[in-house]
Amino acid sequence: MFSDDNSDIMEGFICPICKSDQKKLESLLQHFEDKHSEEKDLVQTFRDVFKIAKKKILNLDESQLSKTFDSTLKPNKSFNQLEFVEDNQDIGLVKDHIEYFTAIRNPRLERFATETNKLIIRLNKLLTNRPQDPQQIKLHEQNLVPWIDGKLVKLCPSCAKSFFLTRRQHHCRICGSVMCNECSNFLSIDDSFSIINPSYEKSKPNSSEEIILKEPEDSIRLCSHCLHLLENRKQMQDSRSVRPPIYNLYEKLEKIKKDVAPDLIMYEKIITSLYDGNSVYTLADAGALRGKIGHSAEILDDLSKKILGQKCAKGSREEALQKSIRLAAIKFIKENMLTLPPIPLEEEIKKIQQKRITEFNQKIERDRRLAQEAFERYDLSGNAGFPATSRTTGSAMTSVDNWSGYQQQTNTCDPLVEQINIIKGYIKQARDAMRFEEIATLEQNLSELQHEYWLRSQQKE
Amino acid sequence: MNVIKAIQLYIDKMIEEAGPGMKILLMDRETTSIISMAHSQTDMLQKEVYLFERIDSGRSNERLKYLKCIVFIRPTRDNIIRLSNELKSPKYGSYFIYFSNIIPRTEIKALAECDESESVREVKEMYADYLCINSSLFSLNIPTCLHSLNWQQEALERTVSGIIGVLLSLKIRPTIRYKNGSQPAQNLAKRVFDTINKESSLFSFKPPENGVPPPLLLILDRRDDPITALLTQWTYQAMVHQLLTIKNNRVDLSNVVGVPNELKEVVLSAEQDDFYSKNLFSNFGEIAVTIRDLIESFQKRAKEQKKIETIADMKNFVESYPQFKKMSGTVNKHLVVISELSMQISKKSLLEMSELEQDMACRADHSAQLQRVKKLITEERISIEDALRLILIYAMRYERHANCGTVGLLNALKARNGRTHLVPKMLEYISQSARNELFNTTKIDAVKLTRNLIKGLKGVENVYTQHVCVLKDLLEEILKGRSIDQQYPFISSEVPYRRPPTEIIVFIIGGATYEEAFAVHQLNQMGYRIILGGTTIHNSESFLEEVITATNGAPFKHSRSLQAFHNASNA
Ligand SMILES: [Zn+2]
Ligand SMILES: [Zn+2]
Ligand SMILES: [Zn+2]
Repeated sequence: MFSDDNSDIMEGFICPICKSDQKKLESLLQHFEDKHSEEKDLVQTFRDVFKIAKKKILNLDESQLSKTFDSTLKPNKSFNQLEFVEDNQDIGLVKDHIEYFTAIRNPRLERFATETNKLIIRLNKLLTNRPQDPQQIKLHEQNLVPWIDGKLVKLCPSCAKSFFLTRRQHHCRICGSVMCNECSNFLSIDDSFSIINPSYEKSKPNSSEEIILKEPEDSIRLCSHCLHLLENRKQMQDSRSVRPPIYNLYEKLEKIKKDVAPDLIMYEKIITSLYDGNSVYTLADAGALRGKIGHSAEILDDLSKKILGQKCAKGSREEALQKSIRLAAIKFIKENMLTLPPIPLEEEIKKIQQKRITEFNQKIERDRRLAQEAFERYDLSGNAGFPATSRTTGSAMTSVDNWSGYQQQTNTCDPLVEQINIIKGYIKQARDAMRFEEIATLEQNLSELQHEYWLRSQQKE
Repeated sequence: MNVIKAIQLYIDKMIEEAGPGMKILLMDRETTSIISMAHSQTDMLQKEVYLFERIDSGRSNERLKYLKCIVFIRPTRDNIIRLSNELKSPKYGSYFIYFSNIIPRTEIKALAECDESESVREVKEMYADYLCINSSLFSLNIPTCLHSLNWQQEALERTVSGIIGVLLSLKIRPTIRYKNGSQPAQNLAKRVFDTINKESSLFSFKPPENGVPPPLLLILDRRDDPITALLTQWTYQAMVHQLLTIKNNRVDLSNVVGVPNELKEVVLSAEQDDFYSKNLFSNFGEIAVTIRDLIESFQKRAKEQKKIETIADMKNFVESYPQFKKMSGTVNKHLVVISELSMQISKKSLLEMSELEQDMACRADHSAQLQRVKKLITEERISIEDALRLILIYAMRYERHANCGTVGLLNALKARNGRTHLVPKMLEYISQSARNELFNTTKIDAVKLTRNLIKGLKGVENVYTQHVCVLKDLLEEILKGRSIDQQYPFISSEVPYRRPPTEIIVFIIGGATYEEAFAVHQLNQMGYRIILGGTTIHNSESFLEEVITATNGAPFKHSRSLQAFHNASNA
């Protein structure tokens, strides 16, 4: 009512790459072709990036550029944050009407359902043992459904025009009511069968979804009320059972998206862990997972292209839907998959790990020295617990180095050793299957067992 | 208290309730605008909303039963009828229905009787019934709301729903004050008050803790501060609106010389454009510096990348390319906007204009100012609209001055074929209290001036931003806990609170301005929680339209001496 003129505004389709506003889906796709053709084949880009990552020559810190921008854009940032981050705003009030709505709707629907069921039973009877001869058919029909006495009806109940010679009375074959020819509807035998039996295979694939037909050779005459009820039932059946190809493709697409989400998180986690110098995950793990993600990107790209390629009328809503889905997929790949940080260089990781080990050993050394000093100063020779605690800190780490040696020496049926070997086997399996969450847990178990083993061997000594 | 967030939370909830799968969003004209202010269509794609349709325009009969349909419409009679028809022969598999405001039960019943295929899953009220512009600014998109200085009925109804929507979406049950002497403000306050009481089950929020004053809804009238809507603006958002006009976050640049095709119309959204949201309230000088720095860092980056020797270098560049482009895309847009602003500033001599406007608004120096106005309005370089603005400010300022020269100025404007009739109309529009206030401004207010010194201001001198809108002074009084009962009484008998309210919603009948939004923003930065709204957001041009409609049918009391100019225009 207000807001002047052409307010068909929907804040447009913003290009995911250059953020320019394209307003319409068509123009965005066009823009994509024109302006970003060099990035058009997403998978190709992804493969390239992936390949290079494998060769470990790529090491660009993307965040560097955005940092530059952030700092240039800063002036007002702190202010705005004050205003935006302010509080965890809850959703505003919501009032629910569904209870009242269903209280009105459902009893009505139940009434309709009973009525419709009656009609379907009649329809079923009409179709069973249906004769071929038109005269016979009429008798068959009249026999099953009592027809209303036409003498009592002066006007067609549907259009209110009076009956006379040229406007003759006709009967609805399903409820038996009277109507004129113009107000009659016809249901083909084929459609009738498919209403009675939803799994019925039609003899010829029907062109339209609509059931209404204009008096074919053999059909059932019925009133609008009966038709409406039957049609309604059929549509409800159809919308439950009909799954066009786009629906199935889309389901697959969404499943891939959902499945890849934890991979993306895990990948970031692995990269972080590598840069932290942890040895839970290896560079090969990162490479393998990256490959898996790349494969998912490929499938996503492929599925969305297939959706775009589905047959549909030009300018139809279906076409717009296909384009939208394709665009969303492009955006998803761009934003979530192509922006993954590259795999770090091997030498770099080695250096980080080396540094960590050195630091660790230094810390152990320092702890030991402090303990020793305390030991000497307070003459704690009687207190056995104290030095032990300080040592346990480093145990997990040292045990890793000592482990293989002990194993070879002992070679007995120590259940602890057995357990350790089993866990190691599991880790290998998990790694092969790229179940990285599991690896982390197993590694944790392993180091606990190893620690246990180490403690025991210390006691023996 | 963030109105953008409030709308987004509602939209997200609707989408979440529909669950996974392909979705279409069915809206009316107003809800389309409401949603588009909070989310871009691209955002919606990521939430599996792939199609958008208007319930109130020509619709195809194509059936897509595998789609879920989210319906978000205002609860108007027409919409209910359209939705009933949709439900009678549903095109989509299931329906999730949301009304943007309170809907009578009888309408729910009517809809339920149409849902014969049992396709409705949700029916709810979600009060996203206003347009969010900034985090603390909303509009109702009503271009003109008064007639004969009182409410147009339709506008009043829409305004009541809009304010109720804001309150419910923020879960606020306020006390209500209105500007004493303004009939429209009093009417609106009464209507909102009555609605809150009638719908008390909706407004049953947890009352504030002991001693904490309840939130305040403050209803004002543009007629008490028309000057603010006429001044040349110097903060980014305000300038763009004044010189290029922002309509539902969009700016039409098609008249700008040499603008590339894809920038003929640009979106300026605080929500989606980082650069914009960070520079909304920067003044022109600051923002020019910011842009320059950005470009320099681009160039530096580009140069760095030019030294491409190995394949790795090349790939590095490709990897950073999307980022690079993404950044340059928004910056490029703002560069076009800013250069157009700067072109207009020099072409229209806006610095000189602004200096005189500010001088008149803040300082009494009649004869010198009259001379300057006289001189400027005859010069070609001053646009006829700007000349009119100067005369309007002068006429309001010196209406009661013994040597008032308005008639002479109007004759000069008439010679240039200006819209002289606006001056008598404005003198009818301006309220009595605004008149008194202007008349009392005798000398420069040193306190006001220092308060407005903007630190580190480059390019634009503070002489252009001396004027303080009435709203800012008023809010400061309230926040200091001063009594305003005389001028802004409560609509009902309220227990007066000694402490100032911590949450304030201000609503201006006849439109708010971006200058006022800036004032509110500054206070919010200091930790206050204030939201500003208006029937619309005005620039001087749209404000003059408001003045014309508002004074239509009103008897001329104040400007009898100028009636000749009014009549002349009608002839
Ligand atoms: Zn682009
Ligand atoms: Zn008839
Ligand atoms: Zn019938």
